[in-house]
Amino acid sequence: MTSLAAKNFLNANRPVYFKQIAQILLMSIVLALAVVPAMAASQMDNLENELMCNCKDECGKVLINCTCDHSKKMRKELKAQLDSGLTVKQIVQAYVNEYGETILSAPTKSGFNLSAWVTPFIALVIGGVGVRTVMRKWIKPADKQSGKSAVASSGADEASTTGSTDNDEPSSEYSSRVKRELDNLED
Amino acid sequence: MNELGEFALLMALVTALYGIAGYVMAIRQNRVDLYFSADRTPLIVWGCVMVSSIALWKAFITDDFSLQYVWAYSNRDLDIFYKISSFWGGQKGSLLFWTLLLTTYMMVVHVQNRKRDLRVVPIAMVVMLVITLFFLCLLNFSTQPFEIIPVPPEDGRGLNPLLQNYWMVIHPPTLYLGYVGFTVPFAFAVAALLTRNLDDGWIRMTRKWTLISWFFLCMGNLFGAQWAYVELGWGGYWAWDPVENAAFMPLMIATAYLHSVMIQEKKDMMKVWNMVLILLTYVMTIFGTFITRSGLIQSVHTFDEATLGYYFLAFLGVVTIFCIVLIIRRLPLLKSKNELDSFLSRESSFLFNNLLLLGIAFSTFWGTIFPIISEAVRGVKITVGPPFYNQVNVPIGLVLLALIGIGPVIAWRRATWSNLKKNFAIPVLGGLVCGAVVFPFVPITDKAETLSFIAFMLCAFVLTSIFLEFWKGASARKSMHHESLPVSFSNLVWKNKRRYGGYIVHIGVVFIFAGIAGSQAYSVDVERHLKIGDTIQLKGYDLTLEKVIWIKANETKERLIAQLAVVKDGTRIWTGKPEKEFYKGQNQPVSEVDLRSTLKEDLYLILADYRGEQFEPMSPTMATIKDGEATIKAHVMPMVAWIWLGGWTIAFGTVIAAWPDRAEARRRLERMKRMEGIFAPAQQE
Repeated sequence: MTSLAAKNFLNANRPVYFKQIAQILLMSIVLALAVVPAMAASQMDNLENELMCNCKDECGKVLINCTCDHSKKMRKELKAQLDSGLTVKQIVQAYVNEYGETILSAPTKSGFNLSAWVTPFIALVIGGVGVRTVMRKWIKPADKQSGKSAVASSGADEASTTGSTDNDEPSSEYSSRVKRELDNLED
Repeated sequence: MNELGEFALLMALVTALYGIAGYVMAIRQNRVDLYFSADRTPLIVWGCVMVSSIALWKAFITDDFSLQYVWAYSNRDLDIFYKISSFWGGQKGSLLFWTLLLTTYMMVVHVQNRKRDLRVVPIAMVVMLVITLFFLCLLNFSTQPFEIIPVPPEDGRGLNPLLQNYWMVIHPPTLYLGYVGFTVPFAFAVAALLTRNLDDGWIRMTRKWTLISWFFLCMGNLFGAQWAYVELGWGGYWAWDPVENAAFMPLMIATAYLHSVMIQEKKDMMKVWNMVLILLTYVMTIFGTFITRSGLIQSVHTFDEATLGYYFLAFLGVVTIFCIVLIIRRLPLLKSKNELDSFLSRESSFLFNNLLLLGIAFSTFWGTIFPIISEAVRGVKITVGPPFYNQVNVPIGLVLLALIGIGPVIAWRRATWSNLKKNFAIPVLGGLVCGAVVFPFVPITDKAETLSFIAFMLCAFVLTSIFLEFWKGASARKSMHHESLPVSFSNLVWKNKRRYGGYIVHIGVVFIFAGIAGSQAYSVDVERHLKIGDTIQLKGYDLTLEKVIWIKANETKERLIAQLAVVKDGTRIWTGKPEKEFYKGQNQPVSEVDLRSTLKEDLYLILADYRGEQFEPMSPTMATIKDGEATIKAHVMPMVAWIWLGGWTIAFGTVIAAWPDRAEARRRLERMKRMEGIFAPAQQE
């Protein structure tokens, strides 16, 4: 009995149910991919990715992308520090202590700097809510009530040229309309 | 000739001023004589700027080092090819080049539209003249390209070696054509707002210009990426540098505009939104110029003499405030029907596409300005580099990629869940099959590889969805017109150029996504010091150092080349020749990479270091180094060629979408006939 009720509930709310699951999944994937740090790159690669080249010319390049003479010296230094048993975190901290946060290729994920990371996603969520609100306002009231009466109708110019009728079963009347509009369009 | 060039710039400034005053007075006082007089000025301004540009080009070609700018960016040994491109190698010349392109656009738009809509076109000309005036003021009073050196030196300082590359000859003009091109839709949008002609007439008049500007901006970005790839020698093509970001942001906003404007044309919706987007696109092009020329944000691209920041900041401020005030004042007139039939419709997918594109543009903008915010708030300088942009933009980009595939299969106005299931079944299957096929061959051990795997599946999903659109359309034509499939396919595309051109552009975008996914996640590299005869192995390639060669190219340039035999599966497949170039007067040598590119992967070789003293002359300008040693860095980067292929596909799609349409031309003619007699100046003429 319970499973039947659940089945009925699912059937009755299928579009909403799927839509909500899709939305939650999408948000989760986006956030997870954004937040999870890179994992398997080599220690040296991680270091070169995390640090900027600090040459006098202020070349403004991440160390891994830099080819200037100073970057070669810096790499040698880093390799020696890794070989001496220091961890990536310790080396990076030592560089931050010496040169300040500007040596890091990206803001830290704490304190004020966290705002750099979260603001784009907050803006995106606010934008998404805004789009949703605007769409709710724009959808015709009559159609909101009869939302399930879904007669798919693609734009005439679209369907006529592609043949991608959005109705499940295109009628002969529909086909003749498509042909008529196609002729009008192509003359 | 230099004096003529300088004088022509002054003449252009005076003429532009006259043109602005003439147009404004003619419109306000309804004076036809003044209107016709002012109407000549766009052509004259263009002529003056062209004369000035020719004078500067001549100075470069004839090695006239009495000009400070020519001395700073050229020398006698520079190839003629690069002497021509040195024109835009520095700040002064690039501003003149910008002005030349701007006035050329203005002149062509003027000739094309002057008799079309006399309510909007003259005001659009005023807007373009005002913008031209700003650049002419800079060229005349702040950063003069014809500045003289009292005692001319014998030779010039030479062009930055990094700019001596063919991609750098093409990249700046292409990018500038994109940047400057957006002045046209901006000017027409402002004119429509000022004159209260807010139907979609201005959109129709500027549709092609917007598409062309978008195309150039897109190609400019791609050419820049190709330059970085072959010239900078770090095995990458995009570094999220602030100046790269500056070109990327307007591209995203313009892409959003190109999509949402379709809804206005089809359903008369979103007038305010489209107006905001096109104005914002232009504002972002000015913001980009401000970054390049202010030196405020650290960038590898910033001009040496980045002294124009305050001027551009002021211009940016004035333009932004003017646009905001104008839109607010015209809000009541920008009301549109704004009716949607359903949440599930093509229209709503366009809205989400806009959201994501603007999301990417915003995160890029945020990352670009965050160092300034941090310094202002905490007093601490920080850097926002590639790790930030990759972590924020890549996930949003993937959702956007999915939307490219979802859009075409959702109906306009209203779709149903049953339609969606039916239309999505095959594309989703395509994505899953791709995933199943690719899964055994690619490792999925870290975040980059996981993202790439998802990207490949999404690419397959999108390609299947687009392929189905072509297939359904061609099949429908085939049965209705009794044509063969190839004929119905070509007719389908040709008779619906805008739509199918757009799909081809989407295919190009998918290729670019695939190329980025492959090259970012699965690249491998090795760096070794080699003596002659030594071999390194990398992903099935055996690389053997055969010899090191020294070449004296000319009086100012010497080359050191490491020759490597590349063997795969026992067969010699290629000879790699990465090199270092030494320029007179430059502290550091420049790396010239060598690469073997296939659709599967690129083998990318860099000569990182060298050693050797025993020269064995082969000719007066060439020698082998017997004890030569070389440090070679080799990358194997999968699928990079797909990025460039994507670029050419986008170019092909844009050409189709922008190709003149006879039916459209006829409809425009009919509209013009209906409008005839409305405007006093037109009647007089």
